[in-house]
Amino acid sequence: MSENIQETIVELINQAQLYGKDSVRVQHLRHVQELILRKDPSLLDNFLEEVLCFQTDKSPEVRKTIISFIEEACQHDPEVIVKVIDSLRLLLYDDNVLVQKRLTVSMITIYRLTLKWLSKSRLVDENVRSMWESMVNMKIHIIAMLDSDNDGLRTVAIKFIEMLALVLSRRTSDSIVPTFNEQDFSLNLLQDDHRILRRNKLEQEGKDVMEKLLEFTLSQHLSSVNLIAAMGAIANIARQRPDYMSRVVQTFEALQVNLPPTLVDSQVSSVRKIIKLKLLSLLKHPASFDFQPQITTLLTDLGATQAEVLKHLPKAPAESKRKITL
Amino acid sequence: MPLRFAVVCSSNQNRSMEAHNFMSKRGLLVRSYGSGQQVKLPGPSLEKPNVYTFDTPYEFMYKDLYNKDASLYTQNGVLHMLDRNRRIKEKPERFQDSRERFDVIFTVEERIFDQVMEDLENRDKRTNEIVHVINIDVIDNPEDATLGAFMLCELGQKMEATNDLDNAIDEILTEFELKTKRTVLHAVSFY
Repeated sequence: MSENIQETIVELINQAQLYGKDSVRVQHLRHVQELILRKDPSLLDNFLEEVLCFQTDKSPEVRKTIISFIEEACQHDPEVIVKVIDSLRLLLYDDNVLVQKRLTVSMITIYRLTLKWLSKSRLVDENVRSMWESMVNMKIHIIAMLDSDNDGLRTVAIKFIEMLALVLSRRTSDSIVPTFNEQDFSLNLLQDDHRILRRNKLEQEGKDVMEKLLEFTLSQHLSSVNLIAAMGAIANIARQRPDYMSRVVQTFEALQVNLPPTLVDSQVSSVRKIIKLKLLSLLKHPASFDFQPQITTLLTDLGATQAEVLKHLPKAPAESKRKITL
Repeated sequence: MPLRFAVVCSSNQNRSMEAHNFMSKRGLLVRSYGSGQQVKLPGPSLEKPNVYTFDTPYEFMYKDLYNKDASLYTQNGVLHMLDRNRRIKEKPERFQDSRERFDVIFTVEERIFDQVMEDLENRDKRTNEIVHVINIDVIDNPEDATLGAFMLCELGQKMEATNDLDNAIDEILTEFELKTKRTVLHAVSFY
């Protein structure tokens, strides 16, 4: 069975290397991904290098497919990260903006996985240290994308920063974490004496990136898409890290009266709709209990009906004192 | 890779299906949905619509209405519409029940835009891929559905022609608003 799969994979890789339509080559590589990562993951070691060779393929679509392969491989086995870190760095600095964007989206998952794996890993050799150093440099590069000329790159940088603010902070008992993210890394999972990861330093970094994101959300030259992505990010963070609830509500208050002057009327309508959607989601959160008057006033200004507001009020007030869940 | 489009109306019968038909004939990769609780079609009077569940095939609805009053439903165009729909796909689909991923979702009413945004926001976020949600109001009658389908198709083709949609979309929509004097709602969500 496994031999048959191996033969098929070899055949598919050979075909993908030949001159042909990019869409067909992408199909072959997707098939390879499926066979290795969903049918027989024990083959990953045998074929990883062959697949990584496509990272320099002339077709951006092929390079994007390789990124998807790498992301899934890291999810399957985080130890792979050490082996693919050079590829990730290469693809982050790709000439094509769509490849950079795809890589940044994958880095949201891979960076989070790396922290989780590192936090549990006893083996911290030179390769691991060097991988983490590259990872830190890539993170700095992605954060700097907030100033990119490309709207889409800024949007994915916002999503990456949202992930950073979440993983570099602690969950509390009133954190509402989506089911899919329950197993994600947070600083609660980090031991104090870790050989590479310093909890205090990471916690400070988490606060700094959150500050940067809040500042960015209020900047006066944002595109409507960036603003909508940023509002979504800070609202998600407030729900999962209610310590930020106060700052996030203040940011929405400031936004409401001072939207970027560059937005045209229809963009203002779209943005106001999203502010309303996000505020209703915050109102539902028990930790917003102390801010209900401000949120309700904002919602009324945005045209929410009393029935809508009532429907989103939490059933019971938040506990006054939160406990850290470990 | 081609962009993946979705068009969402209320019942996945008129506006979204006209656009589905139009856009797929012009080579765009498109799917269509309804966002309502049930599928509603005109009945003998405004108070008596014909109501079906989303898993009812267009073929069944066609035969059902043909048997009920062939003359009425031929005259008001419902049989013609169902005949077109059954040639495109088997049955209506509800947006909230689908887990397909798209690059662009068009809605045809502000209320539907709100429903789509709310649904996307409440889903588990797995891949962080961006999806653009765009509303252009289209009145629910055959003539406006045709006009709407034409506009959505033109917009879709412009989007397909760009190399970097995320960076070009603002310009495309601003140009569209100026040209058509219609207001466009545009937001993004993430899968």
